[in-house]
Amino acid sequence: MSALQAGEVVLEGAGGTLVNSDAGRRSLRRLWRLKWGLGAALVLLLIVAVTLAAPWLAPFSPVEVDIRHRLGPPAWMEGGTTEHWLGTDQIGRDLLSRMIYGGRVSLLIGVTAVAISSTIGVLLGLAAGYFGAKIDWIIMTLINVMLTFPFVLLALAVIAVLGPSLTNMIFVLGVAGWPIYARVIRAETMALREREFVVAGRALGMSHARIIFGQILPNLISAITVVATLQIAQVIILESFLSFLGLGVQPPTPAWGNMLGEGRVYMLNSWWIAAFPGAAIFVTTLVINLMGNALRDWLDPHMKL
Amino acid sequence: MKRYALRQLVQLAVVVVGISMLAFAILHVIGDPVLLLLPQNAGKEEYERYHKLLGLDKPLYVQYWKFASRAVQGDFGKSWYTNTPAFKLVVERMPPTLYLTTAGLGMALAIALPLGILAALKRHSLVDNLCTVSAVAGQAMPIFWLGIMLIIIFAVRLKMLPASGYGTWQHFLMPAFTLGAFLAPITMRLVRSGVIEVMSTDYIKTARAKGLAEWMVVAKHAFRNACIPVITVLGLQFGQLLGGAVVTETVFAWPGVATLTVDSIRNQDFPVVQCAVVLLALIIVTINFVVDMVVGYIDPRIRVGG
Amino acid sequence: MMRRLLAIVFAALLLPAVTSTWPADAQTKDDTVVYALQSDVDTWDPPNSVLREAIILGYNVFDHLAARDLKTRKVGPGLATSWKPLDDTTWEVKLRQGVKFHDGSPFTAKDVKATFDRVLDPAKKMTARGNHAKIKSVEVVDDHTVRFKTDGPYPLFAERLTALVMQSDKVIREKGDEWMQEHPIGTGPYKLVKWDRKQEHLLVRNDDYWGPKPAFKYVRIRIIPEQATQIAELVSGGVDIIKAVPPDQMDVINKSGQARTAASPILRTAMLQLDQAARGGPNPFTDVRVRRAANLSADMDSIIKHVLNGLGDRVATAVNPMAFGWDPNVKPYKQDIAAAKKLLAEAGFPNGLDIVFNEGPPVVEPGLLQTDEAIVADMTKAGFRIKRNYIGDNTVVVARAKEGKLGPMFNWSWGYYSIFDADAILYDVFSCGQPYSYYCNKALDDLTIQGRSTLDPKKRTEIYAKAQKLLFEDAAYIYKWGLRGVWGISNRVDYEAPADEVDRMFLVTPRKK
Repeated sequence: MSALQAGEVVLEGAGGTLVNSDAGRRSLRRLWRLKWGLGAALVLLLIVAVTLAAPWLAPFSPVEVDIRHRLGPPAWMEGGTTEHWLGTDQIGRDLLSRMIYGGRVSLLIGVTAVAISSTIGVLLGLAAGYFGAKIDWIIMTLINVMLTFPFVLLALAVIAVLGPSLTNMIFVLGVAGWPIYARVIRAETMALREREFVVAGRALGMSHARIIFGQILPNLISAITVVATLQIAQVIILESFLSFLGLGVQPPTPAWGNMLGEGRVYMLNSWWIAAFPGAAIFVTTLVINLMGNALRDWLDPHMKL
Repeated sequence: MKRYALRQLVQLAVVVVGISMLAFAILHVIGDPVLLLLPQNAGKEEYERYHKLLGLDKPLYVQYWKFASRAVQGDFGKSWYTNTPAFKLVVERMPPTLYLTTAGLGMALAIALPLGILAALKRHSLVDNLCTVSAVAGQAMPIFWLGIMLIIIFAVRLKMLPASGYGTWQHFLMPAFTLGAFLAPITMRLVRSGVIEVMSTDYIKTARAKGLAEWMVVAKHAFRNACIPVITVLGLQFGQLLGGAVVTETVFAWPGVATLTVDSIRNQDFPVVQCAVVLLALIIVTINFVVDMVVGYIDPRIRVGG
Repeated sequence: MMRRLLAIVFAALLLPAVTSTWPADAQTKDDTVVYALQSDVDTWDPPNSVLREAIILGYNVFDHLAARDLKTRKVGPGLATSWKPLDDTTWEVKLRQGVKFHDGSPFTAKDVKATFDRVLDPAKKMTARGNHAKIKSVEVVDDHTVRFKTDGPYPLFAERLTALVMQSDKVIREKGDEWMQEHPIGTGPYKLVKWDRKQEHLLVRNDDYWGPKPAFKYVRIRIIPEQATQIAELVSGGVDIIKAVPPDQMDVINKSGQARTAASPILRTAMLQLDQAARGGPNPFTDVRVRRAANLSADMDSIIKHVLNGLGDRVATAVNPMAFGWDPNVKPYKQDIAAAKKLLAEAGFPNGLDIVFNEGPPVVEPGLLQTDEAIVADMTKAGFRIKRNYIGDNTVVVARAKEGKLGPMFNWSWGYYSIFDADAILYDVFSCGQPYSYYCNKALDDLTIQGRSTLDPKKRTEIYAKAQKLLFEDAAYIYKWGLRGVWGISNRVDYEAPADEVDRMFLVTPRKK
């Protein structure tokens, strides 16, 4: 939870933490210090906007095959044309269009998977932290099992059964990712459980549900947000992992991960096929991380993450 | 201390059993290895016979019990693919993966510790963000991309290192770095927040008041305490490394157990998969156990808190 | 406390270096040739494996009764010096004298009998059994003469003599099957020294070999699963020979100055199987018009030219130009989208139709995924709406194919088991009821049986000509091309790309400076 900074007055009530408006100026200064995070956020916004505008921005269809122009280099290289700014892939599809459309898929996977795992993780973390004892023990064991059980194995096994598809992948990523949230939320819940407003709530006869969702959860939003943001980056990386194993998004649907996988044999000569999606993953993950760090510093600098 | 140790041991055992059950359940849901094992033109009676032979007709819990009781004695059955004992296959290939992951962790620490401390000391500055960028860079680059890039640069262009394979310390450098780069960000973040937290404690203020040089303050005291959360998480990260290990092993033709496991899943070679998963789990939880003991020893608060 | 932890960390970093007691190889770079494989063999007992890698490794450690001359592609003497048919169902084979196994025991007729008996034994369920099932019995006449009795006329007898490695009777009797999986005792030019599963094999020259001695004393076979890594190793000097180089990567190798590529047409022929036999249930491809439309929609010549950089030989049916019985008079389908659409309309699909396409990984067919994409794009123009289903694991693909679960359309290629004869594909891939065949046509089956029931080559050629005409007009499958194998060869060795896809390490010689 937010610790008291010199000069900041904090009011606590039954609903959680309120910050005195006098500290507004301090917040602005903090914001400036987080300019890197803000810059990163802007870049991220740009990326998201571009991918959302895919149908209008992309010069070609991402699945349009043009065998005669395959392996075309980017426009600024010898042999490249301005028709295909980033070149073409091994069957002549325009790389720029595939990058833009692929971003949609990769980001969609990231956001949806995180939504699923955060929901599961938060619920389980709350239960473990709040109720303690047996329930905590069961959930902690579950967390440990899930964390020790290699994700790759799980993914391989599940997708081998269900078949590789976008939905199944999101399912696997979502279901496999909850332990991180659970651990963080559990720790925070345990700390909060002893605070006065919770104890007071119990004394007043509030139901568990009301305390958990009405009092504890709102204080955890910052923690959840930070973890979730950072996890989106993680999921995007995992998607490329799965594509490497052949379990990812299936061709011809473009996603940065599977574009990278398809292009890996070409890294020695037609390097652009793998380089651009790789760069996209790199930049996106980077800005998400920077933004997430800034978010954490802004919301709750003392979070142990 | 003893009670803490006992509690952790029980957890360890439960986790291993849990994992073996999970692996068992998943494998038996995946598919039918009998179809793969039978030669062409096998008839229905053949199929049934094999089914019985491999014990696949009994209910799941009976199969699991048979498996578990033998496993404890070290008998994980024979690989269905190559007919050699699964245990032997897995143990043969365990050392390369373990060396790789340990070296990778070492690399991660080598990258993350200095960057983390630097970032913590110069919070919010350009340096801080650059450190974050460098640390995150390793993870943001998909492992096989980084691996192949390293091979191209160091083996093909510069001819300084062997492109792949296992053997001398030169063979270790690129794979360990690739894996380490993957782990560096989370480690760095932990070091950074650990150091930040420690730096604002009274303990440090006292050390400063005593007139100690700043670098000594950092080196001796802050560093020590920051290590605790790092070690704890690293222990758990060891498990997640398997995913990174699979890719690294494939790209660098590293004869490890990660690729063996993935291949065995594809071949539906149940005994080998089960053996690999259980043994790996055992190693991981043992490491975590040791880590927990170490940390519990350093910081009594954790023992009591649980 | 901290110091101890730091010590542990440093130890962890140094551990590998310290414990790397890698066997200081007695071999030097100059006397070793290094060969790379993408995946390892499952056993060193070749008749017990379906993998091509097992066949290749087998050639280096064992010998066969007959050997193929790579230049003429004809079958010549190996461990057998001559053979002749005594009547329609009996063959007499004379064996070479003075040959010894790696364990010192002499090679005689009883080893031939023991090898065949073992493989033909139904109880042992050896993979190679089906290939030699026409042989009813093997008799020892004397130490160097063997008689084979066949089940009816067996024109492929000589060809098939190149397809079974000769193993030691003593080993079979005394050591048993399980031992033989890891310890190959053959008569071949190399012996197995050690095998680190999925990592590498080490072979050493057999100095008592009856034939020409290999130039290189040692062979290291390294398992490198990632293709980009194989190429990197080749151009940085870590590996001497790699196979199945994708056409797109050839310029990387050729421009490196360290290695070069060599291509050769190989027997392996690619096609897209269509479920005419309805093994997977009713589907549009049971109608010949739909099949013809499919064949008319793809511009295979353009795909070969642009996607494979010309490395493919167009075929009219799945019979390869190098196989005995190939008929050059049957010309392949030419792309005609309009005709394809018309046929589809006649068949009841004026607005096109939906097809599921099961794709496997490019394990034996480099460039497969790219050519598939191109074919799919072409077929879509004709009205086929293709839904692709990618199966990333070849073992799974093969298993499902066997079970009849890959219809209505899937990609397939056939290596003929390195038998240069039309029968080697007609039977397994086009006959009714065979596990890897999705075509059922009694007229064709009759022709196939006729073809393998006479020893007269002229008659056989006529029969196979009829068979190919039938296959073409009935558009049994979508026909593609004969593959060209591409090898990457280091500039420090001399080696020629083999037409039968078998890499014989004993033929590799150091390059003269």
